[in-house]
Amino acid sequence: MRKPDPDIRIAITGAGILCSIGRNKDEVWNAIVESRAGIRKLTRFPGETFPTDLAGEVDEPALSVPRRDAKRLSRSDRLAIVAAGEAIAQANGVPLDRAIVSTGTSTGGLLEGEDFYFTRLLRGRRRAPASRVLQQPTSGPSDAVARAFNLGGGVVSNATACASAGAAIGMAADYLRARHVDAAVAGGTDALCRLTYSGFNVLQAVDSNPCSPFAAERKGITLGEGAAYLVLERWDDAVARGAKILAELCGYGATCDAHHPTAPHEEGRGAEAAMRGALCDGRTSAESIDYINAHGTGTLLNDSSETRAIMAAVGTEVPVSSSKSYFGHTLGASGAVEAVITVLALTHQIAPPTLRLESPAADCPLDYIPHTPRPMRMQHALSNTFGFGGSNVSLLFRRA
Amino acid sequence: MTRIPITGIGVIAPGAIGVDAFSKILDSGKTAASAIDRFDTTPLRAHTAALVRDFAPKDFIAPMKLRRMNNLSRFGVAAARLAMTDRGGPLSSAAGVAMGTAFGPVQTSVDYLQQYVERGAALAPPQLFAESVANAPGSHAGIEFGLRGFNITVTQRESSALAALMYACSQIAKGMVPAAVVGGVEEVNEIVFGVLDRVGSLAHANGTIDECARPFDRRRNGMLVGEGGAAVIAEASAGRSAYAFASGFGIARDVTATISDWGEGSDAVVGAMRAAIEDADLSLHNIDAVYASANATARADRLEWRAIQSLFTDVPPVVATKGYFGEYAAGGSLQLIAAILAMRDQMLHASTGFAEKDPEMRFTPTREPLKRELRHVLVNSISAGGGIVCAVLSREAA
Repeated sequence: MRKPDPDIRIAITGAGILCSIGRNKDEVWNAIVESRAGIRKLTRFPGETFPTDLAGEVDEPALSVPRRDAKRLSRSDRLAIVAAGEAIAQANGVPLDRAIVSTGTSTGGLLEGEDFYFTRLLRGRRRAPASRVLQQPTSGPSDAVARAFNLGGGVVSNATACASAGAAIGMAADYLRARHVDAAVAGGTDALCRLTYSGFNVLQAVDSNPCSPFAAERKGITLGEGAAYLVLERWDDAVARGAKILAELCGYGATCDAHHPTAPHEEGRGAEAAMRGALCDGRTSAESIDYINAHGTGTLLNDSSETRAIMAAVGTEVPVSSSKSYFGHTLGASGAVEAVITVLALTHQIAPPTLRLESPAADCPLDYIPHTPRPMRMQHALSNTFGFGGSNVSLLFRRA
Repeated sequence: MTRIPITGIGVIAPGAIGVDAFSKILDSGKTAASAIDRFDTTPLRAHTAALVRDFAPKDFIAPMKLRRMNNLSRFGVAAARLAMTDRGGPLSSAAGVAMGTAFGPVQTSVDYLQQYVERGAALAPPQLFAESVANAPGSHAGIEFGLRGFNITVTQRESSALAALMYACSQIAKGMVPAAVVGGVEEVNEIVFGVLDRVGSLAHANGTIDECARPFDRRRNGMLVGEGGAAVIAEASAGRSAYAFASGFGIARDVTATISDWGEGSDAVVGAMRAAIEDADLSLHNIDAVYASANATARADRLEWRAIQSLFTDVPPVVATKGYFGEYAAGGSLQLIAAILAMRDQMLHASTGFAEKDPEMRFTPTREPLKRELRHVLVNSISAGGGIVCAVLSREAA
């Protein structure tokens, strides 16, 4: 079997994003540079009695998808199609018949599955609509994107909790390097649903105020939703067809804490190894890293352990920020949403800030770019994404 | 070209705990299907499934840990332990984990929402939430055995396990990990079974035939569903003799497929099979047998046989295994393990459930176990929604 060729460079020729601060790259980037967050009162589940009531919701009109099968698509599917559509349009001319879809999602169509379950639990199984549970599988978004855009290179779904999309992007890059496919539409999607909103609350991992990553007063995450995709091609192929290259995906690292089902390792053992793995895969030194888009959830343990990991793997001088302060934790989509923001940061040479960072925590002593964007020269940037079970992925990007 | 040795197998299968018991089931030619007694199937057309009945999780997992695991995690950890024992010892902490599952923790989600309804949104059990993510089995395996390499979970319906193997082998070949636990998990539950029955996917009695999955048979009318957990150990080098070697992979998508069904695009299946053979640096005539994806649904089987007879002028022996343990069993990994065991034993299995060939087919799937020199076997996995993953297994390291 062919192994992924480390000499093959991966070009990013398209990017699409949809989250609570914007329906596309331009809107999202405008919100980033204006330090305008998209965290508001939760509207999706009226009548539910959650202990907290904030979320980064995507506005409903943004989900208009004039495609066949529209009635059979879950909200996660539709988020995915919108974001993937933007990415594919930008990568105009990418060989779709040899493009794989690689999607990370934690919940898939669980929002629609819940309709089935609640109806079944409250009104009996004969009244429960089977069509809703058929929308649930986590393979749904990848299948929906592939069908919407007639992608013929393959389809794969990655459900590795909140590290899903990072893993999906890394997998796609390796399949390009091994020449299994000629292009990839790789990213992630997740819609808010009651189970996850309730679940993170019962874990007491949700801040009752908008999340404040790395701050002394941080108390947890804010939940969000969204989707984002990158179009990946082999560098030489992209150049040969005259595509505009947005940035390079130099490599990635994927590791496991092997520590706890939901909590990260206190010293950031796996996160450090993931960043080191990305540097190794991308043949890049730690000193070359100009910016890190952190996982930065706002939980006590994540932010301190990730900080330790960054200090060990990259150093103490590198600027770091958490984009989750804008739109919350988009769960399985977060690796892709934040990857697109990292690519935009490299393109615009502006590092996004961490909002609401009034007073950094004693255990978070790095430069977290508080409040406002920072224009700066950036050649290399890491984007971190970590998940339940201690799965960690770090993606390494280089400016085009 | 690289070939990745498979050095250990662990199986928690319908009717079989352990690789030897599983091998006997396959050799017997008898299905592991039985009447469902786990939930009421009276209103449904289908009443049988391939269920794991003899699994004692405490034989594999400490009691305190067991309490934190759902059935899928128990299947996954137990299968990983069996695979490592079969390999001859634990793996390096640098090893990775790649698991596959089609439906994942549906039952855990239902259990959580039951508590949500009864106790309220703020008082449901956190432990159930922690187990409601599809990667919980892989995570538990990583924790239990201290494996700190990649840890990913693929959920590509029927292709999940083979897609997980493809990724794991790519990472071993790339040098990112020295080894990996690769497997899959699935459980049969009332929700998924009921929905599959309602949309007509399951084998059922219809007056002229009894309820039985009949892959490639002209009378086929649906699949048997199965459950369980299974794992193989893939390594950069074999410290002892390997069962077989993963030598090539191909991936494609049938663009004619709908979101939830198989399509008509046999060319895409041909393309994936051909890609796997080319990736293995082999030619069509090198393939000694095909372990088919066939699950006894009308469309999927037709799609695959058209592809097989389009690709091969002289069709090699074709084996359909899902009559034994059903579709989805152990996330699809039991079909892969059946093919690995065929290479070990140099013996093809009978295609249980198959009896009467469809008139359109130019080949006849195996009716009986068949002694054969097997140097290279092609394994197909074709999922609803159009995903296709094919792999070539080889007997020798080079």
